Amino acid sequence: MLRPIYYVAKATFHEAWRRRFLNGILVFAILMIGSSRVLMYMQPGAELRMLVDIGLGSIRFFGLLIAVFMGARLISDEIEKRTIHTILAKPVSRGQFLIGKFIGGVTTVWSNIAIMGVAFYGLVRLTAPRVAAAAEGESWVYSLDLMYGRVLGSIGLIFLELFVVTALAVTFSTIFSWILATISTFFIYFVGQMSEFIHQLADPERGATPVAAIVLGTIYRILPHFEIFDMREAILDPARPLPWEHPAKVVIQTCTYVVVVILIGYLFFNEREV
Amino acid sequence: MSKSSFARYGGWLMVLILLVLLQPLSDSVNYERLIYGLVRPMPATRLVEKDFTVVPGVIAGAILGGFREIAAAMIWMKSTELWNKGHGTELKYLSMVRTTTLLDPHWLEPWRIAGWHLAYNMYVEADKIPDPELRAKRKAQYMQMGVDCLKEGISWNPDHYDLYFELGWTYFDKVRNYDEASKWLSHTLQFEHPEYIERIIAHAYERKPEMQKALDWYDYCIKRNPADGTAYGATLTIHERYLTAWRLMEEGKYDEAIEEANCYLAVAPNNILPLHLKAHIYEQAGELEKAYKWWSVAGKTALNAHARERAARLARQLGKEVPPEPADIMRQEQMAVPERKF
Amino acid sequence: MCFRIRRCCAIATAIRTENLAKLYGTDSEGRPVGLVGLTLEVAEGQIFGLLGPNGSGKTTTLKLLLGLIFPTSGSGEIFDLKLGSPEYKRRVGFLPEGPYFYDHLNAVELLRFYATLFGMSGPDLEKHIQELLELVGMWDRRAIRVRDYSRGMLQRVGVAQALLNDPDLVFMDEPTAGLDPSAQIEMRNVILRLRDEGKTVFLCSHLLKDMEPICDTVAILSRGTVRRLAPMSELLSGDSPRYVLTVAGQSEQVQSRLASLATEVRPREGNLEAVYEDQGAALNAANQIGAAGAKILHVGPERRTLEEVFVEVVGGE
Repeated sequence: MLRPIYYVAKATFHEAWRRRFLNGILVFAILMIGSSRVLMYMQPGAELRMLVDIGLGSIRFFGLLIAVFMGARLISDEIEKRTIHTILAKPVSRGQFLIGKFIGGVTTVWSNIAIMGVAFYGLVRLTAPRVAAAAEGESWVYSLDLMYGRVLGSIGLIFLELFVVTALAVTFSTIFSWILATISTFFIYFVGQMSEFIHQLADPERGATPVAAIVLGTIYRILPHFEIFDMREAILDPARPLPWEHPAKVVIQTCTYVVVVILIGYLFFNEREV
Repeated sequence: MSKSSFARYGGWLMVLILLVLLQPLSDSVNYERLIYGLVRPMPATRLVEKDFTVVPGVIAGAILGGFREIAAAMIWMKSTELWNKGHGTELKYLSMVRTTTLLDPHWLEPWRIAGWHLAYNMYVEADKIPDPELRAKRKAQYMQMGVDCLKEGISWNPDHYDLYFELGWTYFDKVRNYDEASKWLSHTLQFEHPEYIERIIAHAYERKPEMQKALDWYDYCIKRNPADGTAYGATLTIHERYLTAWRLMEEGKYDEAIEEANCYLAVAPNNILPLHLKAHIYEQAGELEKAYKWWSVAGKTALNAHARERAARLARQLGKEVPPEPADIMRQEQMAVPERKF
Repeated sequence: MCFRIRRCCAIATAIRTENLAKLYGTDSEGRPVGLVGLTLEVAEGQIFGLLGPNGSGKTTTLKLLLGLIFPTSGSGEIFDLKLGSPEYKRRVGFLPEGPYFYDHLNAVELLRFYATLFGMSGPDLEKHIQELLELVGMWDRRAIRVRDYSRGMLQRVGVAQALLNDPDLVFMDEPTAGLDPSAQIEMRNVILRLRDEGKTVFLCSHLLKDMEPICDTVAILSRGTVRRLAPMSELLSGDSPRYVLTVAGQSEQVQSRLASLATEVRPREGNLEAVYEDQGAALNAANQIGAAGAKILHVGPERRTLEEVFVEVVGGE
């Protein structure tokens, strides 16, 4: 039952790592992370802020590219290139195949983030003490340990966010060609960033008509809520302690949503003719 | 066939059930995000008044989605570049700083810089306007915008020292509204803060004037740090110049108090401290006409919202026509410490 | 294992379909496109050929049998299991047409990957992979990546992966298409060997000449329907009692002597063929001609080629 999933996942992981396109993104991302070390000096007085923002932003951006471009091809490519024929002719169910592909895709995305994250964390550990020492006595006194913790926490949030993105991409790739799957995933990603806004638009107290309230409310309930990963500032903030239950709830919400998305993908894939 | 359709419909039913089960959790997470102040900027949810500079920021935020922080950092760098090239007073610079605050509202630096830029730099920049009436109006507007900007920033970051101090200091040093200054500076005391905060609060009380409270605060400073020379000096000055008049006023001996106040006013006729003291004594004595006159005098000496405010208040009481001074344009509405909305 | 026991039974059925249909709509003349209604039964241990022109529904049938697509109506079973069930796939091998594989792998990695899907692993597997690659003549080229393969190499590795699980039933789609003559012969030998081992082979092809010598049973498919389903021998001999005598050379003397008794004499491939109404007439003629010193190549019942049968069945379509 689990063995085929494992081997499909393993093959997917290996194949992804041999893709020049993905390796190129990773190299570029590492260069970008490295450049945050240079760019930060363009902003005297906010060097560490720049370092962290540019570095984390790069990890997130390039991680997103990897998740979407790889995820959207996972199933559609197998169908378009017909490699799926010999695999489904083996004793592998479509569910096993889909889950294996998804797990392979997620581990690829996560391992890419991990590499970028380790590179960036190393850079921060090397750079931050020097910058802080040079700025001794200035009004913005940064607690370095706090910052290290925040960097790690933020990378963890990127893991979660791209977990959902990969699930969406894989599910779209069971339905559409890879181009359409890519576009759809980006679309849902950006709409999902605004889910809170849609929620407000659906609020009758803010002037939504009954029809708009039902339609937008339903859309909001189905959409992924990417805003829940936006808590970087609150991680380890001594002024606003965030109880651990909150991130725990976010993790449970994310995992449940991923199950829903993959289940939808499975229901489509099960009907898909290859 | 029937088996597969059962699997199909059963599957969709399961999707529906999971989505329904997810909603309470999702709502709970959203509720907590409100409690912990994690909600992103939304159009006009926290603005002090209607502000059209938010439009580009909101659009940019929507398009950028999860990349707000990096975009904020980039725009901030670009704005600094503009500033260094001497384009700091152009509208472009201001809108960039404003956009940064909208993209990353928990980043304190842009709020601080934007508030300072409006209340100080743009205020001075308005001196170039030739029409005196328009100039006065613009100056007051810029100052108000600086204050509003800091208040909006505080509403995003109520748990951080920086913007409370910035706002308190802007009220104290630029607007010279000592009621507001002492109020906002007092908020900083809940955080770890530098020693000078209590001294500035004391200065504010001194200028209101509320001599006893000023003395209490100076006293606190000296007890905390016996080597606090400034607090010593200020205490001595109050004792020497104003305390006699203050005590006489408290005892109801207003004429003697005025006489006492005049002693030092003769030495320094433009010093706002004796002017405020004199006006305050007249007000306490119920001689409102005289109080109005002396608050007006104090209001003309320098930028002094406090004196103008009090003069305007008396003018209303006396049925006089309130002069269209900047003090009137300035809204001194009471803004409570932002409550977290639930 | 149970299937070995079942194989002993002479009547065991590998594939059974009942009105299996997959319709993709209609063409401009209103005729249905796709597979219209396939009913067939393939007994174990034979080579079954599903023959037909391009677009007649061969690959559609294969995909239906493997559960890659789903029937519009009708049903089918493989080893008595419903179509699409992963269960029977343990006993099935599949060589698709112009096979496509993960092209970043080499032959050994590719076979290892497919083997894991069957749950196979360990040192025995490595030996098994070597045997298979030797069988298809790819062992010495095992390190080359699939993306650098020629058409023939793809086909060879395709056969190897189809045989990984020692299947009881092998599906092959156009197994000989695009191969050079020697590779075609190798492929034919592989297929015959599979039958000798007692396996069932289900072939789809439009290359009738390649199929003629190997298929035991043939179904001729045209426009989505089976036009003819019969054992190959029956198909080629037909019901005719006529006999054919083949004589070497094309000398006029021999030709005229043959013509005296035959219903028809025709030159064929540098020799002469005479057709007789029955066996006796043919043998009689053979004796006479042989006595006259001509070289007799063959005497036997009249056989048509598969192509002739095919054209007859399919007609002008």
